[in-house]
Amino acid sequence: MTLFRKAPRTERMEDIPDDESWTDWFQRYGPKLLLCARQWTRSLADAEDVVQEAFVRFWRHQRGLGGEPQALLFTSVRRAAIDLARRNSRRSAREEQADGGLESTEPLFETPLEGDDRREAIETALRRLPAEQREVLVLKIWGELTFEQIAAQLGIPPNTAASRYRYALGALREALTAADCHG
Amino acid sequence: MDNELHELEAELKRLRPVAPAPAVAADIGVALAAPRRRFWAWTALPLAAGLAGVALLRSPSTPPAPVPAAAAAYKPVSAENLLYSQRDEGLVTLADGTTARRYRSSYVDTITWKNPRTQASLRWSVPRTEERVIPVSFQ
Repeated sequence: MTLFRKAPRTERMEDIPDDESWTDWFQRYGPKLLLCARQWTRSLADAEDVVQEAFVRFWRHQRGLGGEPQALLFTSVRRAAIDLARRNSRRSAREEQADGGLESTEPLFETPLEGDDRREAIETALRRLPAEQREVLVLKIWGELTFEQIAAQLGIPPNTAASRYRYALGALREALTAADCHG
Repeated sequence: MDNELHELEAELKRLRPVAPAPAVAADIGVALAAPRRRFWAWTALPLAAGLAGVALLRSPSTPPAPVPAAAAAYKPVSAENLLYSQRDEGLVTLADGTTARRYRSSYVDTITWKNPRTQASLRWSVPRTEERVIPVSFQ
């Protein structure tokens, strides 16, 4: 099976009723946006600030642009994270590394009814992935973006996005297998 | 990908990312309730002019297509906001006597549209200045 199989149909602006409120959107996209923001920021608080800024910017200025809102929302989050990193780097050059949002101990995912150990193992493995692989994985799995959209987002070729995704899944599988073996 | 990776992929998709704290939604509500500027009034004119220009350049011997039809073929592919300057303008006193700190940020907003059929693209950039006034409290 090829990695470039047909992507599931994504929501388009034309499909969204005009009367849908921002709260409906935020409920639907907020958790995904926060997960993405956390990998581009230093802390959960920073990630929440980024999501807030990006969502307001999107809702006010970009919602009427047409096309696929999800990709625009993630672009908005990434730009807001980059802006925040720039602002922070002006305050303190040593804080320039913006990869700590996933290093914090707060959980990334909701606790399932069963199998919390498995969730913890997945989170640990995810945090240990190289940042470039992790961001592709997060955008693909939870952001539900296509490889073309991820490539446009990160400024890389779609094939590179696809191979990073494949490497990330492979590394996760290895880490989880090792975790299972060590009990 | 092998079946094992597909299973892992499906397992990951079942995990639900944690939601932002309720305060984030509350802050968004406050921000969206504030008066908004007429952004589209500024974007519509250059976009229409740009699309009309594209239509003219692509078929000089025929009259340009109506702008709404041409615009429909273009889909936004990115919307970027580049922060190029930020200044702390110090303390100010608001009308109600509250002391606040004023920050001025300058951006260049760039929106890119693309016609998926012809691969023609249109990029529009405009400078934007954002002023933030944040109340401060002294201990």
